[in-house]
Amino acid sequence: MSISSSAHKPQGAAATASQEGVMAPPITLSERSSTGLALLRILVGYLWFQQLFWKLPPTFAGLYSYVVRESQHAILPGYGTLLQHTFLAGCPSLSSPKGCTAFVPLAACVWSAELLVAISLLFGLFTRFGALLATVLSVQLYVGLAYTEWIWTYGMLVLLALVFVAVPAGRRLGVDLWLTPRLEAAGQHHRLARIASWFV
Amino acid sequence: MHTLRRGFLAGVLASLVLALLDFVTDGAPGNGFPGVLRWFGLTVADPTLSRWVGLLLLLVLGGAFGLLFGALQRGKLMTTGRALLTGLAHGVLWWLLLEVVLASITNHTPAPINLNFANFLSSFPLAVLFGILLGAIFMQWQGYYGSRQRS
Repeated sequence: MSISSSAHKPQGAAATASQEGVMAPPITLSERSSTGLALLRILVGYLWFQQLFWKLPPTFAGLYSYVVRESQHAILPGYGTLLQHTFLAGCPSLSSPKGCTAFVPLAACVWSAELLVAISLLFGLFTRFGALLATVLSVQLYVGLAYTEWIWTYGMLVLLALVFVAVPAGRRLGVDLWLTPRLEAAGQHHRLARIASWFV
Repeated sequence: MHTLRRGFLAGVLASLVLALLDFVTDGAPGNGFPGVLRWFGLTVADPTLSRWVGLLLLLVLGGAFGLLFGALQRGKLMTTGRALLTGLAHGVLWWLLLEVVLASITNHTPAPINLNFANFLSSFPLAVLFGILLGAIFMQWQGYYGSRQRS
């Protein structure tokens, strides 16, 4: 950066050169980059979608062994106890969810949240909301399962979700393409629309 | 770009994205492509050939649905909402025609529509995704080529 050369320039140009030196240049995503990110969003959404099938309702039985593992190996102290008093409350056996009082309704919440993430990322529908939900679910997996498998896989899952919180990837190849201008226009008059526009 | 050609290419690309999904699944990539052949009651003994023919058929079907999409526009400019809705309708048609009716007929099931929750969940959202992608790709190209023609 040099400001000496700007001494010979008109004052406006000197100010611009100075601004160029102290301000980070704006980043504009090209159409190709946006579409590429949208494609990645769909593929990540499909990863979530595919994981719905081994823990299908009405029993959600596939989830049970993982909740048991989380209750035994959580990296946060107290998290295992929390699981034992919620998901695993009243469970007579560690091998089957039969007899558990709260497992099915709580597992239904987890499954529905994962379905929401999958729909949101696949269709680009309130993508940032879906990504935020994916971040929460991934952090939960990290806390519960990181010690039982490779830690970095769950860490990557969190980071991947955070990318789609940061970048509006649903505005290409997705329904957010239609939603965004409408929510932004409505957001000038309605608070709810303004809040909703944060999530597209 | 002519509407029909744009529709065709959008359809091929949308089905290519569906094909890409098969590369992030558990197990070997391309294992889902023979399923496309089964919609028509076809089987190819060689597993590698079966995958390639299934992929080709998927792209052809995508192109055919894209042509239909383009034909319905009759060269008119589309709004984003209309493109996505028409795409959605094409996705539902894809699901009904290929995944439900045709698959049921060729698999000789007693009822024409044979669905359980898992089958529905594994087929309907992906068919809708195809439709949304078809509409969105068509729409994005319309904006791109429209602005190129204006300038």
